Amino acid sequence: MISEAASSQMQAEILVVGSGAGGATTAAVLAEAGFDVLIVEEGEWVEQGSVVPFSLEQMDRQYRSGGVTVALGLPSIAYTEGRCAGGGTEINSGLYRRPPDDVLQRWAVDFKIAELDHDEVLAIATEVEQTISVTTVPGRPSAPSEVLQRGAQRLGWQNSEIPRWMKYADGDPKSGQRQSMTRTYLPRAVVAGARLATGCRVDALEMTGGNANRATTTLANGSRGTIGFRHVFVCGGAIQTPALLQRSRISGHIGRSLAVHPTVKLAARFVDELNVPDDVPVHQVKEFAPDLSFGGSASQPGLVALALSDQWDTFARAVTDWRRISVYYAAITSEGRGRVRAVRGLRDPIVTYGLTRRDRALLGSGLARLALLMLEAGADEVYPSFRGAPLVRKRADLAVLRSRFAAGKASVMTVHLCSTVPMGEDTTKCGANSFGRVHGTKNVWVNDASLLPTAPGVNPQGTVMALAIRNARRFAGAERARG
Amino acid sequence: MVDRFDPPETTVITGATGWLGRALVARLLADPSRRRLRVLARTTAESHLLESLGPVEIVIGDITKPDTIARLLYGTGVQVDVIHTAGVIHPRRTREFFEVNTNGTRNVAEAALDHGVRRLVHVSSNSPFGTNPQSADTFRAIEPYNPYFGYGRSKMEGELAVFEAIERGLDATIVRPPWFYGPFQPPRQTTFFRLVRAGKFPVVGGGEQRRSMVYIDNLVDGVLAAELACAARGQGYWVADDHAHTVNEIVETVGRALSDEGFDVKAQSTRLPAVAGRLAEMGDRIVQRLGRYQQQLHVLGEMNHTIACDISVTRSELGYEPRVELYEGMRRSIRWCLEQGVEL
Amino acid sequence: MAWDSRHHQLDGIVGPFADMLLAADLPLLPAGRRAEAVQFVQRRVAVIPSLTRFGVTVIGLLYRGLIAVPFGVSAARFLSSKPLPVLGEYPRLVRSLGYAYIWERWPDTMPNGSQR
Repeated sequence: MISEAASSQMQAEILVVGSGAGGATTAAVLAEAGFDVLIVEEGEWVEQGSVVPFSLEQMDRQYRSGGVTVALGLPSIAYTEGRCAGGGTEINSGLYRRPPDDVLQRWAVDFKIAELDHDEVLAIATEVEQTISVTTVPGRPSAPSEVLQRGAQRLGWQNSEIPRWMKYADGDPKSGQRQSMTRTYLPRAVVAGARLATGCRVDALEMTGGNANRATTTLANGSRGTIGFRHVFVCGGAIQTPALLQRSRISGHIGRSLAVHPTVKLAARFVDELNVPDDVPVHQVKEFAPDLSFGGSASQPGLVALALSDQWDTFARAVTDWRRISVYYAAITSEGRGRVRAVRGLRDPIVTYGLTRRDRALLGSGLARLALLMLEAGADEVYPSFRGAPLVRKRADLAVLRSRFAAGKASVMTVHLCSTVPMGEDTTKCGANSFGRVHGTKNVWVNDASLLPTAPGVNPQGTVMALAIRNARRFAGAERARG
Repeated sequence: MVDRFDPPETTVITGATGWLGRALVARLLADPSRRRLRVLARTTAESHLLESLGPVEIVIGDITKPDTIARLLYGTGVQVDVIHTAGVIHPRRTREFFEVNTNGTRNVAEAALDHGVRRLVHVSSNSPFGTNPQSADTFRAIEPYNPYFGYGRSKMEGELAVFEAIERGLDATIVRPPWFYGPFQPPRQTTFFRLVRAGKFPVVGGGEQRRSMVYIDNLVDGVLAAELACAARGQGYWVADDHAHTVNEIVETVGRALSDEGFDVKAQSTRLPAVAGRLAEMGDRIVQRLGRYQQQLHVLGEMNHTIACDISVTRSELGYEPRVELYEGMRRSIRWCLEQGVEL
Repeated sequence: MAWDSRHHQLDGIVGPFADMLLAADLPLLPAGRRAEAVQFVQRRVAVIPSLTRFGVTVIGLLYRGLIAVPFGVSAARFLSSKPLPVLGEYPRLVRSLGYAYIWERWPDTMPNGSQR
């Protein structure tokens, strides 16, 4: 463990709030550039391997609010955030996607992002891929992953294995060691002189004009403290970052354009046992991308029961077959938008999200297409996760699925949260400038998923890391030039 | 290359007096490799429509009655292909959908199985698959059923009846055409031309929704490709023009075709908000629940949606290639109307 | 902060409801296991974000009131089996937490709660 307990009075040239994909990379770049960096993290340092991946214990220790967080709306959308050293990279599936070229171009134009050079971003992405060991599974993918591959092939749908930040010993597909931030960028930052303090929540930044002077904090034991700094990088993720800015009374386009990839789920039962309780499938079906993608979810028996619980009356009997069941999702790019609002007196911000008519239609179509893929892959029974869902055994049942589906009856959830402080020069829709400095401030920077102007349609953390490194380097270069 | 059967000894067509049926009969009569043609017509009055096309054996009957199909197939010889085009699309009551599109199709599939026909081509529709969830979406070769109202449900159940017979040994192929146009068109399609000409065709919700269409001769090509491609057994295929167009493009193209054929075309268009389409759809749903059917409501409601399909598998597995595109097809349709003395 | 000091109050609201729900759904679940699952649900609800917790408290109080009156338990069971908007989110949350815990901890639990 390389973290230290936070103390009530701390000082640093640069304060980085949050230690996930954005904060860890920012800290490493700035520490290596010679700055005095302090990273503060609200959660604790949890050594990899000390908790079972995708278990409830992991949710208790490494997720915010035990994983029970929700964007209110009709329907409400459950989401999860990492709250531990390394943030989301410690707990998610670790699937890595490069920043999509067309998306970068669209962002640059639509949000007036200066100097968003595609070659530069890709060069950084290549460095990131080496640092976090982005690689495919050696040998055969797991059986739940092969289901996606097989079903897609039979339908003639595009699919591929998504590489992950993993290291495998001796080509053993089960030996994967997640190369998350606690194994890569955080140690790098610390070796370069950065300090990492865990158990420290930043409540607000004290502002004078456009200048942040110090941060007020609450430590794990409940005591209060402050941190002095010259610059602050807020990297708390797309919910906590805008909430902190709002609590600091920073106005502008902050927290108004939350973007997510809403997903619906189903459980599918096969003839042979296939359940892998502690890992997720690595294949994704991209035939309908970016609007619609299919993939596999964590499927330990508790999560199988959860997937069946929406239609428990008729699906409960399947729970004893959990070894033959795996859970899958259909994710969409949403045209809806959400909001994050910090409310005085409440610890947590209020998050809301509204799906559009088109989003709802796409969720229904996505779930039916995913169920079709499961039948093609050899599922003998498919259990869609919504109230009133029919048991799907054959193609004709898919018509019943579609006719009964409504997004309001489904367990809609999401993991990819972004776009609450979009970057760019168009201040009508951007909260930060082209390099992450919050509009209207002199020394407050955002450098995490909040900056992505829209949901990218792919797993976003590769894009988050690449943009965070780009912005941190710009910052270092500009500061050096200033002397 | 796609492996093909030779044309059969006898080709049997149901729905021969319909739009597609007459186009098929006209094509097969012009093909010397087709030796015998036997068709089903509902009434003697309707059968006159066919006599003008050439020598065909006409059986009068109703596909909702099983003995009709037995009579239709009786004495057709050992090598018979059946092309089942009969269907109801705009009835007075929704009950007719199921009598004809579902039970009629089941009768045809059962009789084809009993008779041992070489291949049955069942002409289905896009309607069992509903509408695309958004305008950029395109239906792939295999999609989940999501029937659009009574017609869609009846056609889906028709398909299921065919698949059931396939499981019991029938050789059958399903062809799924979207909105078609071209010669032998019924009066509702003439209304379409008149509305476009007068600038009164209702473009709902911006007109950027996409529609796949199929020119009738392309459809005939597709049906015959499905009949003769050996590998087509047990599959369903989209048969449409090369690609889908937005409603705006369709209205513009039809206007241009009319104008190039010498008609005055009003430059204006009639725009309705998307909510009008949704209201029509709700109205359609209510009316159909009551067992009734109202064509304008139905068409207007569906007009709000994208219905686009991808024909790449049809190309590769059937060797189908659409030869006529939208503008040329529309000009040919207009000329056909003029030849028939139809006022536009 | 404001809401954090009220965990113990919430326990009294969520606990009996979770117990009633799990007892009805999984009648053969051994009492010890049910108690453990109820404790887990309480622990989780205690850390959920403030506003959601407020909603849970309000709806939970409604149900607690209901359970206390004659025939209230069967009425509460009936209500929680219905997909009611907003109101229905509460039983849904409690149920999903309970099931997730039970089947993760004892994967071979039968649908009625008994051990295989």
